[in-house]
Amino acid sequence: MNQMLTKRKKLKLESDSGWGYAFIAVALIAFSLFTAYPVINAFIISLQEYGPLGSTYVGLENFVNTFADELFWKALKNTLVYTLLTVPFNIFLSFLIAILIMPFKKKTQSIFKAVYYLPAVASGVSLAVVWLWIFDPLKSGIANQLVGLFGIDNQNWLGSSATSMFSLVLMSWLSSHGTAIIIYLAALLGIDNSYYEAADIDGATFLQKLWFIVIPFLKPTTLFLLVTGVIGSFQVFQNAYLMTGGGPDHATTMVGLLIFNNAFTYFEFGEAAAQSLLLAAVIALISFLQFKFLGKDIEY
Amino acid sequence: MGLYNNNIKSNGSLFARNGLIITCLLLFAAATIFPIYFMIISSFGDPVEAGAMSYSILPSKISFESYKFFFNFSSHSWDWLINSFIVAACITVSNVFFATLAGYAFAKMRFKGKGILFAILLGSMMIPTQVTQVPLYILIVNVFELQNTYTALIMPSLVTVYNIFLVKQFMSSIPVEIIEAAKIEGCSQPKIFWHIIMPLSKTVMAVLAILTFMAAWNDFFWPFLVTNTMDMQTIQVGLKNFRFANTTYFAPMMAGATISAVPMFILFFSLQKYFLEGVAVGAVKG
Amino acid sequence: MKKRSVSALLLSSIMMVSLLSACGGNANNTADSGNSGSAGNSGGGVKKDTITALLPPVSANYQARFADMEQEFNTLHPNLTLKIEPASWEDMTQKLDTQVNAGSPPDIAWIGASGLSKYAALNVLIDLNTVLSDEIKADYDEVPMKYFQLGDAQYGLPAYMEIHTIGGNKQFLEEAGIDWKSIQQNGWTYEEFRDAISKGVVKNDSGETTRYGFVFATSGVASKDYLAILAKTAGLPDYFDNDLKYTYTSKKFLGLLTAIREMVDDGSMPKELSSIDAGKRWNMFLTGQTMITGKGLSAFENSARLNNEKIKANDGSAVADSIEVDYISLPVPTFNGADYIPTSIVDGYIALRGKKEPSEEHIKNIALAMNFLSSGSIAANYSNELFLTPITESGRKAEVLEQFPRNEDNVAAGQAMMAKALPARTDIPTDLAAEAIKIETEVIIPKLQALLADEITPQEMYDAVKAAAVKSFGEDGVVVD
Repeated sequence: MNQMLTKRKKLKLESDSGWGYAFIAVALIAFSLFTAYPVINAFIISLQEYGPLGSTYVGLENFVNTFADELFWKALKNTLVYTLLTVPFNIFLSFLIAILIMPFKKKTQSIFKAVYYLPAVASGVSLAVVWLWIFDPLKSGIANQLVGLFGIDNQNWLGSSATSMFSLVLMSWLSSHGTAIIIYLAALLGIDNSYYEAADIDGATFLQKLWFIVIPFLKPTTLFLLVTGVIGSFQVFQNAYLMTGGGPDHATTMVGLLIFNNAFTYFEFGEAAAQSLLLAAVIALISFLQFKFLGKDIEY
Repeated sequence: MGLYNNNIKSNGSLFARNGLIITCLLLFAAATIFPIYFMIISSFGDPVEAGAMSYSILPSKISFESYKFFFNFSSHSWDWLINSFIVAACITVSNVFFATLAGYAFAKMRFKGKGILFAILLGSMMIPTQVTQVPLYILIVNVFELQNTYTALIMPSLVTVYNIFLVKQFMSSIPVEIIEAAKIEGCSQPKIFWHIIMPLSKTVMAVLAILTFMAAWNDFFWPFLVTNTMDMQTIQVGLKNFRFANTTYFAPMMAGATISAVPMFILFFSLQKYFLEGVAVGAVKG
Repeated sequence: MKKRSVSALLLSSIMMVSLLSACGGNANNTADSGNSGSAGNSGGGVKKDTITALLPPVSANYQARFADMEQEFNTLHPNLTLKIEPASWEDMTQKLDTQVNAGSPPDIAWIGASGLSKYAALNVLIDLNTVLSDEIKADYDEVPMKYFQLGDAQYGLPAYMEIHTIGGNKQFLEEAGIDWKSIQQNGWTYEEFRDAISKGVVKNDSGETTRYGFVFATSGVASKDYLAILAKTAGLPDYFDNDLKYTYTSKKFLGLLTAIREMVDDGSMPKELSSIDAGKRWNMFLTGQTMITGKGLSAFENSARLNNEKIKANDGSAVADSIEVDYISLPVPTFNGADYIPTSIVDGYIALRGKKEPSEEHIKNIALAMNFLSSGSIAANYSNELFLTPITESGRKAEVLEQFPRNEDNVAAGQAMMAKALPARTDIPTDLAAEAIKIETEVIIPKLQALLADEITPQEMYDAVKAAAVKSFGEDGVVVD
């Protein structure tokens, strides 16, 4: 396996310059218009006191204010906690399920895939309403009935600082992993049978095959899910917005929600832009570390 | 076959193993689909105003009143579904094609500036949408003057960075040897892409299609911003019209959510076979 | 090689363009820059003009009448076109704010009057004082009219005025020995209220509460309503007193916070109060789990009545487990011996401008359209559906499409409360108002949620608000008593 990788790397390829640019042309044009241009705009706005009828240049004031804002740091901490509690666990869960689905017939596989994928197709807003109902604070609520079986008194799930973050995390654990499972399964199907056959001849156990064949092979996929998962989790704001409004006492205020509030509740567009650029820097740093430490032997 | 051992001797232990796995899968499945289950059974309730949220697990009655209510609520209910379909379909087609093309280029081709370009693309994913929203709105509505058109709904999602990234990661596991061999035989890059890469990438393209279609179908905020008449709204924007000041038509909203989920199931099941075919990487053994 | 790659580049661009135009071709409605702010191109004597409006579903059938409204306006003013964009309540603000920030807002938008200062701070509002005729101005009641004024400028017109009350279950009130008719007319103090709601509590054999005395929706941002409504009758009618000093640093505020905690500690309100939302508490009211609920609106009488009818019909369409309820509208109790001042909410329309300077002509047309939307039969109908009395003379005279049965006691109580409503303050500078809103969102609401969840004491919350206020307004800018 490893031998093969090094062999590949040694192969010198001639440059594909012309075709390379042609292949990415459309993507690049769309990107520069609809992503790069707004981002550059955000940079400019972050240095301004923004007003729809004309902005004033204020230098780095927005950044300075953000650094001095306790709430920004608290929101960053909350976001970090949320990410650490959700992303790795969710990836592990998806991996586990993808592996567990593998031994079954195609029909059984498709049923399970469809079932796990279901929550992703429903609109997030409708599901948030249902989750609000599950987390009903009174005894009649589903979650409270469940903990009641263990003799625990009813909890004020979303309304108390002790449980509100956990409630959002729980919601993430039990919501759709369909996307990750499907991506994992697609990658699993990409592993050629000959590897397993060779391993079988060597008398490898199930766990050995998992460790030496599956996990290395799925590394690019895992890295993809990890990087996009972290990026998504750092920007998450919908559930906090719809379910707790960031409360109680800012226990669930995430950076995404803070930026949203600054932009649309206070019209502090400059500050929102500055905060989002800082957030982007944090995400970039974490992504870089992920690539550096996990992406070492992945070929690009 | 494959990952799982077939050298389990007795049928009994095979049965026990599969039984155990199935139980785990079912338990987790039950927890995952519970909200959906609740969404669907509530949609069979009557169109009663706020507070009508039922607190029972089993439906007390099955009525299609809420579905009727949804379609009678506005004369544009069907328009919303059709609009969503047009928009999502255009976005899906363009993403599948252009993202696969670009993903392949970034994964397997060599050209100057590739690393930097890709890093810029990745970097852009990290900017939260709240901030790019207003500049993008200015561009589409004030500069291009495209509000309330399909073009405005489709353009910003023509090809997304996430999809390019996804394709690139998948293509990393296609052996370079195939491409090299094709090159030696005098194949040009478009030919390689069309005859070798595309057939090998059916799985990722199907995944891409589903994910893109779903994202476009469920997108709420952008369609909400750029449409300003009922007949141009998409289903997600239309659904929100069920929420009034102090009351929510809960059952019809859930009926709408169920209706909007149905096309996704159809898409999912129709693309299912591509997932199962798998990638024929076995083409180059040894 | 090079040549071919260029052609490929061309090909792919062509594909993109054709894809775009293919889809664009389907658009029923090409871009219409009606909201550009300038009067349309001249064509002879009367200039044609289009006025755009962004409106929420104000009452049940309001949005359904949009097409009729547009047509009627066009009949009245053949040279003018009114174009109404519908939006849902919760997304209304965000859509408006994006359009405002992009410099291309609609000409007319619906807002709660409390949001006026936010838009004023951006200089996007148009003063309609000069273009509104005296005749039009006279049509509107003075109190609500003031809610759309800042300084001398009239930035919009009010659509309706509504008193936030609390609502009781007639049967339960009588069982608890509460003379609701007297309270409707004379009000009550916190001490009387505290006693009343503790009498309303019912427990089952195992000591669990099956009916609370009082339940208010306080989940998330709704907690803002709870505090604001109580503060009005606690001697804190506004964030600023007449000397423009911040009032929530007064001992009255501490007294109010203590009362809020007491009602929960007494067991009269559920301890899970902090996550009870509007839908939940209405369900609790209809299913007999609470004697009094808040906030109350006039139209709730109708919702309760409709549910009673469904119970009688016994066809399973009523709210599950609900009981027949007679909704009684009650005033909010007074705290700290303060006078009763109702929380009067005024919603209405504002006039907005974008990057382009609107012409005099266009501003006049905006005023015409706005008056059309907020008076006469349009106002009569949405007011009627909301169980409100129109705030324009023309609205009160106009015919309505549908008649609803009313509870005469509630109507009388509503009038008694409305009579005590104060006009809005027009003297608070926008920067002070903005700072107060920031304290409200960043300190008061989060701390209130913590107070309701029993995580901090009233004193701790009071100290936190005071510290934030002193930081924003200085030692001299706040009330000390």
